[in-house]
Amino acid sequence: MKRLALIAFTVGLTLSSCSSDDAQLPIENTVEVPQNYTFERGNATTVNYEGQTTRLQMSAEILSSFTDFENATAESLSNMFSNENAPFSSAALNESSKSVKSKVAASTLYFSTNTVESTEIKADFEAFIEEQMTVVKTNKDLLAEPGVAGQIAAGTGERYVNGKGLELNQAFAKGLIGGLVLDQIINNYLTQAVLDEGDNRINNADEIVEDGANFTTMEHKWDEAYGYLYGDPSIPSANPNSVLGQSQDKLLFDYLGEVDADPDFAGIAASTFDAFKKGRAAIVADNYEIRDEQVAIIRENLSKIIAVRAVNYMQGGKTELAEEKYGSAFHELSEGFGFIYSLRFTNNPATNMPYINKAQVDEFKAQLLAGNGFWDVTPETLDSISEEIASAFGFTVAQAAE
Amino acid sequence: MIKISKFLFLALFVFAACTSDNGGEEPISGSENSFDRKAMLANWADNIIVPSFENFASSTQDLQEKTNSFTINPSEENLVQLRSAYKKAYLDFQTVSMFEIGKAEELNYRNFLNTYPSDVSTMVNEIESGSYNLSLPSTYNEQGFPALDFLINGLADSDQEIVSKYSSEEYKSYLLDVSKRINSLTIEVNASWQGTFRDNFVNNTSSSSTGSVDKFTNDYVLYFEKFLRSGKIGFPAGVFTGEPSPGNVEALYSQDLSRELYIKSVKSVQDFFNGKYYGSNQTGLSYKQYLDYLDSMKDGQILSTLINNQFGTILSQATGLDQSLKSQVQTNNTEMLQAFDELQKEVILLKVDMMQALSISVDYVDSDGD
Repeated sequence: MKRLALIAFTVGLTLSSCSSDDAQLPIENTVEVPQNYTFERGNATTVNYEGQTTRLQMSAEILSSFTDFENATAESLSNMFSNENAPFSSAALNESSKSVKSKVAASTLYFSTNTVESTEIKADFEAFIEEQMTVVKTNKDLLAEPGVAGQIAAGTGERYVNGKGLELNQAFAKGLIGGLVLDQIINNYLTQAVLDEGDNRINNADEIVEDGANFTTMEHKWDEAYGYLYGDPSIPSANPNSVLGQSQDKLLFDYLGEVDADPDFAGIAASTFDAFKKGRAAIVADNYEIRDEQVAIIRENLSKIIAVRAVNYMQGGKTELAEEKYGSAFHELSEGFGFIYSLRFTNNPATNMPYINKAQVDEFKAQLLAGNGFWDVTPETLDSISEEIASAFGFTVAQAAE
Repeated sequence: MIKISKFLFLALFVFAACTSDNGGEEPISGSENSFDRKAMLANWADNIIVPSFENFASSTQDLQEKTNSFTINPSEENLVQLRSAYKKAYLDFQTVSMFEIGKAEELNYRNFLNTYPSDVSTMVNEIESGSYNLSLPSTYNEQGFPALDFLINGLADSDQEIVSKYSSEEYKSYLLDVSKRINSLTIEVNASWQGTFRDNFVNNTSSSSTGSVDKFTNDYVLYFEKFLRSGKIGFPAGVFTGEPSPGNVEALYSQDLSRELYIKSVKSVQDFFNGKYYGSNQTGLSYKQYLDYLDSMKDGQILSTLINNQFGTILSQATGLDQSLKSQVQTNNTEMLQAFDELQKEVILLKVDMMQALSISVDYVDSDGD
């Protein structure tokens, strides 16, 4: 039966060259897009992304422990990152075979033949942990100054920075938005290499579901992409935008809400959700052309979230620095640093490459951290980085800054 | 089912609509059928697989004999002899490990011969208690070449101390049982190829998922991906976890063998691709010839050339590695990661490009999802 479908498929492909003669052929595979992200087979849902929810929960616990100097150590945080030695407060997380680290810089598109860089990136995250729990922790009761880690006043409270003014928890968290969440969504699960792996198309057409599950492999891969964006337990699966800007998510969905709240980018959350819905419906209808059109929309939108936030924080930091509000400035620059780190994981559907490549990201990081880092950085540097990012994505610095 | 028939109908309709334009041109998918698959299977069996197993069986026989001599007379001299037989057999194993089909598949041959790392503490307990059953799947990691490696290289620091361990009857019998089992399983697999399995294999020319070409190609590519790429390089380099694990190398206790095993295995896979006879430079039909017959191209280049070039890249990168991959992981793991990346490029060429060109469905998935 599989073979039959394959032959039919091959014949269809082989003869596509004569389609000009057949312009009035009926269009097959009409895609019916539901109101919500609700898909069923035999009255039971086919949507499942618990693995993504697990990793998002692990990430949340790492982030909340990152400044818990009383209880956390470099070892305990590193254990959480790798899920070793039962590091989490929840037994379910401890018993899971999954870890955050194993999915950092682990996409098929960018890293399957580039484990050298993948390993360097994982090591960067380990280094953020290590420095936070050694250098910064040691100095937590000292005032930070150029070249010296410590605490720094910011608004009504304090922040903890390293000798360059960088909050390592922000570098880690915002870096994870690109290195884990975005990379897995757009460069892994939504790639043809993953969606169409092996016999996925044939099995999807035949509605052959995975063992013990109600979904085809292709449906599930799509849902796993969906789960990295919308999988925080505080977000309703069917209608996630109903809590846009109000969920407990601290990663990509949170910043989707932030960017959507900027009038210059309003509608990006609806457009992203619609693309997820339509692409999933297209899979049900075996319409892979429409599916891949939605992939392009999702790639562009989610990549743009990273870029807009990076520019926004560079500009916010510049304003605060001008007012000599160092703590607040460093906070914004630290978030911005993490988003810049994440740019390497963006994907421009027109080129299938990052909008900003690794070499450029490395150059931005070097500029930001030169000398005493944020203590020394000039408004010109922040502007030139902002301009370069904005122009690569086709928006203006002013649009992102407000 | 409804969907398929709709699809078929549509496809036939399209086909019918353009036959007049296309004259007598054959659809591309038809030409593969005229390649002589049976001759390719016969070349695989008669000139590669069978002679490889015959050679390996003589090595495992010698291994058993040298083990026997050592247990009768445990001396440093006999230990050296035994090691040499072990090394030869382990290298020869690399020429047959990819042939996990038929009797080998039924026996879980590869698991019994080469599951590593060994569970050394369990092994020692079982040796000392004298209570073990090596036919159990739960004992994969207590036997085969990795266990032998531990027993003749890892039991103590000096040769003298290792030899002195074999004053114990328990150690003698365990060592002998491990060698005997490697040999007896190999005799069984070799005998099946000498018997009826060869003809079953060669005559099963169907281009369905149960045909020999489809089935074996899956085994071949799976071997390259899981056992060569991941087993020999990926796991020790910590590719999947970010934590290098030097203890996961093949031949952990032989200081100088892991790179050689790796290279032998890559060469064996490449030779098979090119249809090279075992122990000779003559070639017959195999994947290279099949792909060339189909004019398979990728990005404007000949696919079989790309695949052979990539084997070349892998092998030349390998010569820069430390002869102990354990040391390589410990001193400069980046080179291990580079080796992995080159192997993965070959996986894509074989698993995606070659298998698509040959219209073979991948029957296993690298399901690394959640």
